[in-house]
Amino acid sequence: MCRRAVMTQSIDSVSEPIPISLVSGRYLLFDINVVTYLRRTHNICGVLIGGIPQAPQQNVFLGLPLELIPEEVKLLVAKEAAYIVDDTAWHKERFSTLQGEDRRKYLDSLRSEGLQARKATDAAAKEKTKKALAKQAVLRAQNKSISTEKSIDVETTVTSSSERVGKFFEDASESGESLFNNERPPSPETSSALNPYFVTPTTSYSPSSLPENPLQHPDPPVSCSYPLFSHLHSRGYYIMPGLRFGGDYNVYPGDPLRFHSHFIATGFEWDQEIPVLDLIGGGRLGTAVKKGFLIGGKDKESESEGDSVRTFCIEWAGM
Amino acid sequence: MTPSTTATDLPLSSALQDNINDSKITIEQSPHPAYLHHLATQILHDLQHQHDWTFLTIHKFSSLTNNPLPRPIISGLPPRRAYIHPDEQIEILKAEHETGVSVKQEPEREWVLPSQIQETWSLAKFTLVFDALDTVPPGDSGKENEGERSVGWKWQGKNRQKRLLLGTVHDDSTVVYYIMHDGIVKPRQN
Repeated sequence: MCRRAVMTQSIDSVSEPIPISLVSGRYLLFDINVVTYLRRTHNICGVLIGGIPQAPQQNVFLGLPLELIPEEVKLLVAKEAAYIVDDTAWHKERFSTLQGEDRRKYLDSLRSEGLQARKATDAAAKEKTKKALAKQAVLRAQNKSISTEKSIDVETTVTSSSERVGKFFEDASESGESLFNNERPPSPETSSALNPYFVTPTTSYSPSSLPENPLQHPDPPVSCSYPLFSHLHSRGYYIMPGLRFGGDYNVYPGDPLRFHSHFIATGFEWDQEIPVLDLIGGGRLGTAVKKGFLIGGKDKESESEGDSVRTFCIEWAGM
Repeated sequence: MTPSTTATDLPLSSALQDNINDSKITIEQSPHPAYLHHLATQILHDLQHQHDWTFLTIHKFSSLTNNPLPRPIISGLPPRRAYIHPDEQIEILKAEHETGVSVKQEPEREWVLPSQIQETWSLAKFTLVFDALDTVPPGDSGKENEGERSVGWKWQGKNRQKRLLLGTVHDDSTVVYYIMHDGIVKPRQN
């Protein structure tokens, strides 16, 4: 849950079933590895709803946490790929009882995560410095050859700015007063105090303290469109919330990052009345945005095998 | 202009009214109520005169089960192809690119389901309609025996996904047509 700081961990570390946090009626995921895993393995996209710290004043691009719609949660729970953890209840149960050894272990785990994150950042920074220095060295060598040529040419009074900069570095290094000293004397603090970053956990319990035998949480309440949702999902479609085009779902033939959606899908009960105007409106809008308007639902009387979901696609006939 | 027109000099009945009057005899033998039959007649009229459809027929019984259809359903031949599947379109374009000859698109018979704007449908009702219909309306000239399979045959005739046109009439007699497929059919990229 709170491993978000450690980006080096791959999605291989994700193991099913995945805990889904239920926070005030929303189903949330806080781990980027889990998010990636669900998207790759289960075609579950969800919606990112968290602000990005580096760009807080916009909402075009959002970050963690990821919110799952109840249909997605129900599907994952039904597949036994995930289970629901009621965060409030679990917090109350665990927070007061987290003592002694457990508490120390939890704090240690946070510390080691912070340390790992710190190490990762430091390594990245070092790599960056190394690259920059190598680049500089190349530049310096070039400038040296150029300036020796130029020195022969006495008439050259105007040197390009890059040359001037190069010359500056050269002079500085020659006089031994480099502004950007490469070989910084090892300060005593770097070696001993690799301060771990302070990790703010997203949950108030440690991931290791999650229920071992996840109690079968009652199924999340879903809309009557769920049969259509699972029908489409089982056929490999990716499904996103459908508000944008006025349906229940937008249905994509592949990952929504790579494909346009094919359908605006709306689920109905088998005998639910559908006004003809709704069909025309959906068909018309769908055709205007190069999609089909897909309606469907579960035939409750059907005795055929499979999910007995019946679907119809509506497009404008162009006449 | 004078409002004092009496019943005797009513304007001549419209072509549509004539059409409906003509169908009175068939209505009496029909298993469906008259208003459904009038609806079908009105849409048939629109197809015939507005959209130049031919071979128009009103079907009252299912060709699969011989039971009465949920309502009278029209079949007819549009002047040009009413629907081309996106994959068929790609195949056609490929063939045209390779041979340099444009592929002729023969129109196919289509089903038309009459409806009225104030109606409500349901998945159950649509299922009844689709399950009572053949993929292709009857009476198609047997082109099946062509030695060579034409371009896009996989999406034509009996191979096509079951579909119909939902013709919806408004009180002002506007009729709009929407293609309805049985199942998941990817959209056209018009």
